Amino acid sequence: MSNALIEKALALREEAMEKLQLIKDEIALDGFFAAYLSKKGSIKGLLSNMKDVPPEERGNVGSEVNRLSAEVQKAFEERKADIEKRKLEKRLKEEAIDISMPGRKAPSGRINPYHLIIDEVTDIFLSMGYEVIEGRDVEEDKYNFELLNVPKDHPSRDMQDTFYLDAGKLLRTQTSAAQAHTMVERSLDPTPIRMISPGKAYRRDDDDMTHSHQFAQIEGLVVDKNISIANLKATLELFAKKMFGPKREIRLRSSYFPFTEPSVEVDVSCFACGGKGCNICKGTGWIEILGAGMVNPKVLKMCGYDPEVWSGFAFGVGVERVAMLRYGIDDIRRFYANDMKFLDGFIGK
Amino acid sequence: MRVSYKWLKQYVDLEGISPEEVADRLTFAGAEVEGIETLASGTNLVIGKIISCTPHPDSDHLHVLQVDEGQFGVEQIVCGAPNAREGLKVIVSRPGAKLPGGEISKSKIRGVESNGMCCSLLELGVDKKYLSEKQVAGIEELPEEAPIGETDVLGYLGLDDKVLEVSVLPNRPDLNAMENVAREVACLFHRDVKIPSIKEEKAEKTSFKVGSLTPKCPQFSGKVYRGVKNGPSPKWLKDILIAEGIRSIDTIVDIGNYVMLLTGQPLNMYDADKLEKEELVVIDDYEGDFFAMDGNTYKLEKGDLLVTSNGKPVCLAGIMTADAARIDENTKNIVVEAANFDYASIRRTSNRLGLASDSSNRFCKGINPHQAEYVQEVTKALLVSLCKAEKVYETVDYDTLDHAKKLVEVSINYINCRLGTSFSKEEIVNVLKEDHFLVREDKGDTLVLEVPPYRIDIEGKADISEEVIRLLGYENVHSILPTSELACKGLTESQTKKRMIRRYLLSSGVSEVLTYTLIAEKDVKTFDYITKKEAYRLSNPLTVDREYVRTNLMPSLLSVLSYNVNHQNKDVAIFEISDIDAKDYASRHLAIALTGKAYQMGEIGGRPYDFYDVKGYLEGILTLLGLNSNRVQIVPWTLGGEELHPGRSAEIRMGKKLLGYLGELHPLALKDLGLDNAVILELDLGELLNMKVSEIKYKPASRFPAVTRDLALLLDEKVTFEEIRVESLRADSLIHKVSVFDLYRGKGVPEGKKSLAITLTLYAEDHTLKDEEIALSVKKAIDALSRKFLAEIRS
Repeated sequence: MSNALIEKALALREEAMEKLQLIKDEIALDGFFAAYLSKKGSIKGLLSNMKDVPPEERGNVGSEVNRLSAEVQKAFEERKADIEKRKLEKRLKEEAIDISMPGRKAPSGRINPYHLIIDEVTDIFLSMGYEVIEGRDVEEDKYNFELLNVPKDHPSRDMQDTFYLDAGKLLRTQTSAAQAHTMVERSLDPTPIRMISPGKAYRRDDDDMTHSHQFAQIEGLVVDKNISIANLKATLELFAKKMFGPKREIRLRSSYFPFTEPSVEVDVSCFACGGKGCNICKGTGWIEILGAGMVNPKVLKMCGYDPEVWSGFAFGVGVERVAMLRYGIDDIRRFYANDMKFLDGFIGK
Repeated sequence: MRVSYKWLKQYVDLEGISPEEVADRLTFAGAEVEGIETLASGTNLVIGKIISCTPHPDSDHLHVLQVDEGQFGVEQIVCGAPNAREGLKVIVSRPGAKLPGGEISKSKIRGVESNGMCCSLLELGVDKKYLSEKQVAGIEELPEEAPIGETDVLGYLGLDDKVLEVSVLPNRPDLNAMENVAREVACLFHRDVKIPSIKEEKAEKTSFKVGSLTPKCPQFSGKVYRGVKNGPSPKWLKDILIAEGIRSIDTIVDIGNYVMLLTGQPLNMYDADKLEKEELVVIDDYEGDFFAMDGNTYKLEKGDLLVTSNGKPVCLAGIMTADAARIDENTKNIVVEAANFDYASIRRTSNRLGLASDSSNRFCKGINPHQAEYVQEVTKALLVSLCKAEKVYETVDYDTLDHAKKLVEVSINYINCRLGTSFSKEEIVNVLKEDHFLVREDKGDTLVLEVPPYRIDIEGKADISEEVIRLLGYENVHSILPTSELACKGLTESQTKKRMIRRYLLSSGVSEVLTYTLIAEKDVKTFDYITKKEAYRLSNPLTVDREYVRTNLMPSLLSVLSYNVNHQNKDVAIFEISDIDAKDYASRHLAIALTGKAYQMGEIGGRPYDFYDVKGYLEGILTLLGLNSNRVQIVPWTLGGEELHPGRSAEIRMGKKLLGYLGELHPLALKDLGLDNAVILELDLGELLNMKVSEIKYKPASRFPAVTRDLALLLDEKVTFEEIRVESLRADSLIHKVSVFDLYRGKGVPEGKKSLAITLTLYAEDHTLKDEEIALSVKKAIDALSRKFLAEIRS
């Protein structure tokens, strides 16, 4: 009898294992569980026939039936996990979305490249300990010209055709006017100066692709004791590398500005071709980027800084020029038209 | 200054140095060469002689020529020039020749074979302005002695030259003289300059007098010549003038121009027989008409410098001779003037009259004041050799100038400190000597230098440091970053706030633009609510569109909206922050302008911008600035006008002061601008950015929970949310916050009414609210709203 019970259990196990393989969903699984594995299920149910087993064999038979039941249970768990896994896979498949649809982004504004360049240059010089001085567009002749060593009727006034206003004022032709203001303001108790002054300037030029009656400059001024051309060169080198890439080099060419002596034009090695020569640098490998020089002792003196004690350097960068070179903008008038299609590429930092 | 390489070579040995190398060095030394012009070009050229000229069988204007080309034999050429004729010597470009206009090849012209082309100078690339009409109309006629078979045609013509276009900066007017360019180039290449010295010869005494009655003419010299023969200039002189961009007129005029180009000193020449008196006197108090040699009459004012003879104007000093004293083809006796005039006076007169010449330009830029005598001698040599002047009189000179040599004291240490270099004394002295400075005294580290007289720009020791470095080269400066005491700089508070506002708007989807400061008169008074001051007007505008300095930003921003809408950009959100200057006004404004649709997060269709968009930006900005509604208020529009929608606009006020406005555009304004919708804001940031705000103080939130209760109110249209909010808060101290969650009009709500759904937030600082407390508090609010606004509670 005991053998018969085990035989039965073995046969049930065979049957259950076969059925289990055919099961494909959870409902069938539940049915299977009820049929074979529940307390009243057919395998465990065999134990209720234990009374027919001789007592000395009960232990053996019981453990054998339990073992077979546990085998089926294990197979059942595996099958269940497998079905659940498939179900989850199916769900995940169904839940797939078109990830190429546009995201729900918060709107972001575009920024005129004029502001972009000013922000970037400002940050570079702020990190070097400079302060930002904002001058004003409407200026007096004194600050725009005279204190910068451009007396009335001086030939160098021809370099900058000026818009004159009523009331004896003018639209500043250069952000250098802020230099004069700063020095004069601090001249009672002269202290070292490290400043930049970004802003608009105006000249009486007809607007075309490369000229604009309104444009922007960033003026820089450092006044201290023992400032030299070597300091200017190092500062501008650092600026050029930050602005145009770590491999950039600069070179200085002799030039003339009334408020600096010596005066230089500064070229940066072409960031498009690396100096080999291309369209952007017109084959020379170098691009003229700014004007600079040692502050003319006459300017220091007129602004209240004793040139025997103080020396300094100054530089001026054309904002649109830098932007045009950097972003490949072909026409300066685009800055002022603000066509959204133009602005589209420019994102603020 | 145009610098002819061939002419330059007469003064400096340029063996082994190309024009390009000269240009390069000049550029780095501060005289930028903007271009190198080739006067003429052409390959495969030869001088030929027309040995027969017959009409083309199939044309009424073409000729068939047989041209003797020496070693190349006789070739047949078809030619259309009207002046082609037998016996004429011509320039032939042979097949394969490359001319500025293209390549010449063998061809058949109307059936007749043509092996080359007879050329005009125009076809060789010579600028039209140097050629006579005859030269332009036909082929170039070479002189009888031209050598047939000569292939260096450009050399024969004197056109094998390159011209350096030197941009002379205001500090180096001396480089407007060939002699000084030669000195500069010699210095740059360490070579000697060969400027012939002029020996003064004894001249006859004269009773001619010169003088000046004004300090603006400190020096004036005249030299009288008799028996001068005028005529065409010799070829060498013409060649130089062509290269220099000046057309040859006649020998006397050409000599004047040549000497000016050579020395930088403008000359003026008078017909001595046309002067009323044997004198030339400069005055500056003449008022009246001046009849100039260009045929025009100019009105002169006091202050204009004028050369007179017997009180009659004979020359507008430095600018133009009077018609009455000009040299003509019958002139025999002349007076040559070499003078110094105040640059500012010449500049003012020249600018006022719109009259400028090579002479006046040189005076305006400044000339070497120490060379009048030398220049007179150079001129004399030419007038004697080229014009066969029979009698030369002594130079008479009025001269009040100080001709003492200019000395500058400078130390080697100063130079090296300023440059950040460590040049030796020897290096510095050598380069300065090459630069034509003389060391007058050597006091060890300190030198006393004598400045070359033509270097009127050298004033002090800083200038000497520049000479040293521009000649030794900036590549010798090694970079050293400046060091100084650490100082806490960074952006100021107001600069930081400006950045915050910009970043907030940018990250909210509003784009930052840049517009012109100058606007048209018609825009000045529009949208003028904030500034209300008189605008600055340009005294010299370029166009009527850019005549005034704007007093508000809005007109500029609205034109950006219109521009974009006209260029297929329908949805535009922009802002600008800019300084605003007007008479008695200097501030900084922010303006925002929106048109088209807003696209909120996740929205696909979008909705038109309205008042609340721009109000939201304003509220955001005020929060960033730490300004609550006690300090800045948004109040109903009272300003009228047809620019803003009166029912959808508001004023921004700080107490009584109007800081700005916001609102939707008036339908009439929209129509004018061609827009469907637009919402705008302009705000005076000037004061706001500098306003002190209290320090942030952390205050813990109530430990006891807050509860919310919703109410739906049926209200008259006129009742505002602000009124409901204030009244609810006032109703009970447990009510701390009132917010809107719905606004509804339509079905179920009678005409003229609206349904406003609000949420009350209630809490106490010291205990958890009991249900009875809450109910009482809400009831107080309902009662107050019913009493005050006849609000009905909707269920």
